[in-house]
Amino acid sequence: MTGKLTRILYVEDEPDIQMVARLALEAIGGYTVEICSSGADALTRAPTFHPQLILLDVMMPGMDGPTTLKNLRELPDFSATPVVFMTAKVQPGEVTEYHALGAIGVIPKPFDPMTLSAQVQAIWEKL
Amino acid sequence: MSDAKEFQEKLKALSDAYAAQLPEKLNQIQQAWEALPNSSWDDEGFRKLYHLIHSMTGSGNTFGFKMISEVSHVLEEYLKPLKLAKQVLNPEQRLRIKDLISELHQVVSYRDNAALSQDSLIAINQLGEHARPQRRIFVVEDNHEFADELQIHLSYFGYDVSVFYKLKDFRAAMKSDPNVVVLMDVNFPEDDMAGIKTMMDIQQGREVPVPVLFVSAYNEFKVRLDAALAGGIAYLNKPPSISNLIDKLDELTSSSMANPYRVLIVDNSTILTEYYSAVLEQAGLKVCAVNDPFMVMEPLQDFAPDLILIDIFMPGCNGIQLAKVIRQFDAYVSIPIVFLSAETDLDQQMLALSMGGDDFLTKPIQPQHLVSAVISHSRRSQLLRSFMVRDSLTGLLNHTAIKDQLDHEVVRAKRQGTALSFAMIDIDHFKQVNDTYGHPVGDRVIKSLSRLLKQRLRENDIVGRYGGEEFAVILIDTDAKAAVKVLDAIREDFSKLRHLTEGMEFQVTFSCGVVDIARYDDASKMCEAADRQLYQAKHAGRNQVSVGNR
Repeated sequence: MTGKLTRILYVEDEPDIQMVARLALEAIGGYTVEICSSGADALTRAPTFHPQLILLDVMMPGMDGPTTLKNLRELPDFSATPVVFMTAKVQPGEVTEYHALGAIGVIPKPFDPMTLSAQVQAIWEKL
Repeated sequence: MSDAKEFQEKLKALSDAYAAQLPEKLNQIQQAWEALPNSSWDDEGFRKLYHLIHSMTGSGNTFGFKMISEVSHVLEEYLKPLKLAKQVLNPEQRLRIKDLISELHQVVSYRDNAALSQDSLIAINQLGEHARPQRRIFVVEDNHEFADELQIHLSYFGYDVSVFYKLKDFRAAMKSDPNVVVLMDVNFPEDDMAGIKTMMDIQQGREVPVPVLFVSAYNEFKVRLDAALAGGIAYLNKPPSISNLIDKLDELTSSSMANPYRVLIVDNSTILTEYYSAVLEQAGLKVCAVNDPFMVMEPLQDFAPDLILIDIFMPGCNGIQLAKVIRQFDAYVSIPIVFLSAETDLDQQMLALSMGGDDFLTKPIQPQHLVSAVISHSRRSQLLRSFMVRDSLTGLLNHTAIKDQLDHEVVRAKRQGTALSFAMIDIDHFKQVNDTYGHPVGDRVIKSLSRLLKQRLRENDIVGRYGGEEFAVILIDTDAKAAVKVLDAIREDFSKLRHLTEGMEFQVTFSCGVVDIARYDDASKMCEAADRQLYQAKHAGRNQVSVGNR
């Protein structure tokens, strides 16, 4: 029982992508979306936003996606929050690696704004 | 609904904003690249470059710049191992990176997200001359006998026919908006104009009317006018001559039978060739792409393009030189060559044209402009060639052309080790047809066989009119056994066709000789052998297919 997905935290350093992702997730998916521009930002804002799902860009300056995930897991409320990695065309083996880190899915970038919500929803429903 | 529209508008606005920033982003990449030292490793600088490229890969397609993402991805994958190796770049690596960055600059203008700009896609579809075929016919006719006869005759010519005796059933079938041509009687038991009235109802509110041919015993002007208003493309008097009817249907459905234009693209960028190929293929053209100009001779011969599209700037051999080489061969003097280039200097363009090109398209080119330029040049090229190689009565290849084709196909089949069959067909007692019914009727018989052959054989099989009532067929990738099966089925159907002339009705048969490539070294020997088999078939009593055995 995972319930209905409504709150998503998206961690992404690119302003362009932030905007289009917000639009796609809010307008098409009807989700409530919080955007963070860095891993550090995510660690401070996640506890007050209470996301049900976290979308995490893999490659970010400073704290990258996998490191952010590790640090998130240290937080008391986030030991099991589902995390999805967002990353450019993945090499074989990379997906397995991300799953090993505890991600429940990988969404390839560049994503299609028209179908992003459906991709997120599909991953959520498989939980 | 308005939500969707609002979303589209917002998305478009974001995408426009991204587009506006693209030149600056590319500029940053260029600067990051140029700032790297030639003779030492600058780790921080390289990482900066890598990161800029990475963002570009990850964002382009989201905003409708698919090619940006693709080129950028290639570059990113190339940089990845270099980033780890931390070694001074060698000249070859520098050149590759420089090339890919300049390719990024080239593809920046290609914005092609379907969700954002459907206009261009629609434009292409309208230009497509070889759109989806309409081979399904709905016959609506309350006279069962006549309807069934039509069904049988039309099916001989490769049409898929459904018969409706009642207007009610026809209306129900049209609800699903099938892609059909309608053959409609005018007079029905419920009303003597019911056929026309029904069609008027069905055409209501349609953007593209359903193609309909009316068949009627009435000949009044008013009825004909109503038929035209109901979307009637043709109006045939009852009983219609089958050959006339097929002519009309062929015209309507000819797109499926005409050869699609063949375009050979020579451009060293695989991403751009894929893009051009996709655009042209969507418009119904056949495309063969070559990325290495040195490899152009083989596809030139095998693919036999109607037009060649050449990128001017290619490493090793530029497009202008390539055009000169192609023009050195007599056989390729008349193929249109169209240059593609970012060159905007008119003098340079003129120079390129003087070297054997026919047109000059400036990159980036809009998809619809590419398609229309390619189609108009190809159409003329195909037309000119058809005057030289086509028989005027049937539109089939003439004697010389079919023999040339046979030479060509034999060489190819030998090289590729594939099967090939050649058949000669001769209409039985044709002189009697001409003597009894007159030459115009004889011509109609020839046309009906030509049509039957074209429709029943595959698109890549080649049919020619060898002489008066003699035809030749080249069946690609087919051995004699399979060829006999196909040709015998055609023979049987042809013999059942009833030819109508001034109330008289007669049937005609043909004889056929078939051989395959297995035993023969060259085209002329195959030709002679097929002729011998044809003689055999005639000698054994006509209306049969004779095959050369090992």
